[in-house]
Amino acid sequence: MGTFIQLVIDGLSTGSIYAALALAIVLVNQATGLINFAQGGMAVLSAYIAWQLTAWSVPLILAILISIAVSFVIGALVERLLIRKFEGGDPDTAVVVTIGLLTLVTGVCAWIWTYNNRLFPSLFPLDTITIAGAVISIRSLGTILVIVAIMVLLQVLFLGTKLGLALRAVAINPQSAAFSGMPVGRLLMVGWGLAAGLGAVAGALVAPQLTLTPNMMDGALVYALAAVIIGGLTSPIGVVIAAWLIGVLENLAAVYVPFIGHDLKIAVPFIMIFVVLIIRPQGLFGRKTVVRV
Amino acid sequence: MSAHRMRMRAASVVAGLGIVALLVAGCTRGGDNGGASGGESAAASPGITDDSITLGITTPLSGATAGPGTCTVAGITAYFGAKNADGGVKFGDGKTRKVEIKALDDAYDPQKAAANYGQLKDSVFAMTAGLGTPTNRAWREAAIADKVPQALIMTGDPIFSDQKESPWQLGFVPIYQNEGEAFGKLLASSSGDHKVAILSQNDDYGQGYVEGFKKGIEGAKNIEVVKELTYEATDTSVDAQLTELAGSGADVFFNAMSITPLVISSLQKTQELGWKPSWFLPSNTSSPSAILEPGGASAFPGVYTVAFAQSAAAPTFADSDAGKTFLSDLKQYADYPDTPAFPHCVWSYQVGATLDQVFQKMTEPTRDDFMTQLRSIKDYVAPLMLDGSSVDTTEDGQPAVSTVQVQKYNGKGYAPATSWE
Repeated sequence: MGTFIQLVIDGLSTGSIYAALALAIVLVNQATGLINFAQGGMAVLSAYIAWQLTAWSVPLILAILISIAVSFVIGALVERLLIRKFEGGDPDTAVVVTIGLLTLVTGVCAWIWTYNNRLFPSLFPLDTITIAGAVISIRSLGTILVIVAIMVLLQVLFLGTKLGLALRAVAINPQSAAFSGMPVGRLLMVGWGLAAGLGAVAGALVAPQLTLTPNMMDGALVYALAAVIIGGLTSPIGVVIAAWLIGVLENLAAVYVPFIGHDLKIAVPFIMIFVVLIIRPQGLFGRKTVVRV
Repeated sequence: MSAHRMRMRAASVVAGLGIVALLVAGCTRGGDNGGASGGESAAASPGITDDSITLGITTPLSGATAGPGTCTVAGITAYFGAKNADGGVKFGDGKTRKVEIKALDDAYDPQKAAANYGQLKDSVFAMTAGLGTPTNRAWREAAIADKVPQALIMTGDPIFSDQKESPWQLGFVPIYQNEGEAFGKLLASSSGDHKVAILSQNDDYGQGYVEGFKKGIEGAKNIEVVKELTYEATDTSVDAQLTELAGSGADVFFNAMSITPLVISSLQKTQELGWKPSWFLPSNTSSPSAILEPGGASAFPGVYTVAFAQSAAAPTFADSDAGKTFLSDLKQYADYPDTPAFPHCVWSYQVGATLDQVFQKMTEPTRDDFMTQLRSIKDYVAPLMLDGSSVDTTEDGQPAVSTVQVQKYNGKGYAPATSWE
């Protein structure tokens, strides 16, 4: 029983890493209608900025806050200078542009900071507490709580604020939004900026555990995309729950289903995707998109 | 299935390159014969003149393995940089040559490695020092077909040290089995009973270590392997495996893992779980400054590894004469200002020193003579080697360095461990 609880807790903790990235992807999607494959790469860049600041002996909390602010600006600039040229065109082109951006950002990080592993100080102490026979590290607990807080904030932003409403309007129908007097361009920049800032939080949470390298987020990105599809592109709560499900089920399947084992567990989220897409194409928590003719 | 297809594709690329290589080699050899009809007894091979010799390297300079990969170029560049500054290396044929190095990035991608080899083979005398098992395997057959030396490469794969299978190859570092066996033997010599848990990478690397370890404990009644699990090199977390292994009650944990971040998080996770076994770590993932300190390894009763070279991160290293020379050469000639966190920089430096020995014995500027002399080095103690280790290239089936010393982490660096306590 102790092992079972431990596996669930471990799953929630790795799931939170996927969730952090998945939330940033949802944010960009809600604000611009795009899937940004470069989200992981941009999060790594943010983490490097924070790391560089700590290397210049800026206190960790301050370094992360500065990196969030800088990332917001970088995100907004990327939208304005690069993505803007492809908006309104074929969405497939824009997606390919974001994949190119991922390669570029990874290359830039490697160029500046090399591929050597950098040790990123942890926001939380390494101590542990024991609950019901399972050991929970303060770090995992902290990561999980931060994710929950961000998830609630995003849900409130999109459903309860004017800015959220405007962001959604621009994403769903940019033309009508423009006709009703909304500053579409500026809202798109804000959407990308917010997502990049959120990515910076994700990067700072993940980097102590994975150690900072330019490719740090590549593996997590695959799981984050799976969480986004399973949870539904429109629902912050949905993707977080999906990411946790992936983390937990993956662990349990590896240990308790001998046929899967530790070598095939990466297939678990993708089997879940097939099942979910067949039963509920809009994702577990997503809303169906209705188009008025 | 896709892996199979990739292998097929890789094979066909290699085959294609092989054909091209044969054609090109045929042409150049014809040309050489025409040009060198003068006094020399044997026509010089490509990549060597009366005053220079060019060596080729394909190794990961980008991607996850770039840290160690960059080191494989830096070490040898530092060694020969210093030699060149002194005038060059005196060869057995009486000529003094400067050594030039051409290094290309393969990003640990076998196809890129094969392409790099194709690009280099006609302008270099020999290929050397490159890191990686799948990458070195990708062009092994082409190198045999072209008769291009693939000498003193950084892989623990035994195939490169088998003279029949690999007549133009020789590995430098100990094969995985050497390391696993050394640890198994030390453990078996213990007076107490031990339960062992094993986590290994699901490929030749992990299997080699486990195979060697089991050979080392063969017949030892006091050692029992209680649980064995594997992980994939692409995994971002092995928490589930560690939780399962912690439940086995083992007091010794053999973690045959090659991924730096995973080793750090394993050290941390195991402590969180309250499982405090003795550890054994492979030589390439046991760096005190890059792995053990951030992982908090002092919490365990013992962390063991094997080594044949001094660790540049050890506190006494920078004070020793050899260490000082190494660090300043690295800075001056290889543009590597930091104290390397990976052992590959020292290894590559030793590859340079070993090649120097081979060059001194070469009486003809040919690849054939190079291979003959390459296999004739015995009892050579390269700079920065540990006591008890030496280069011996004369034994078939063994790499240039096969004698390893088990070492125990003492909170700062490593000290030799001759018994298990």
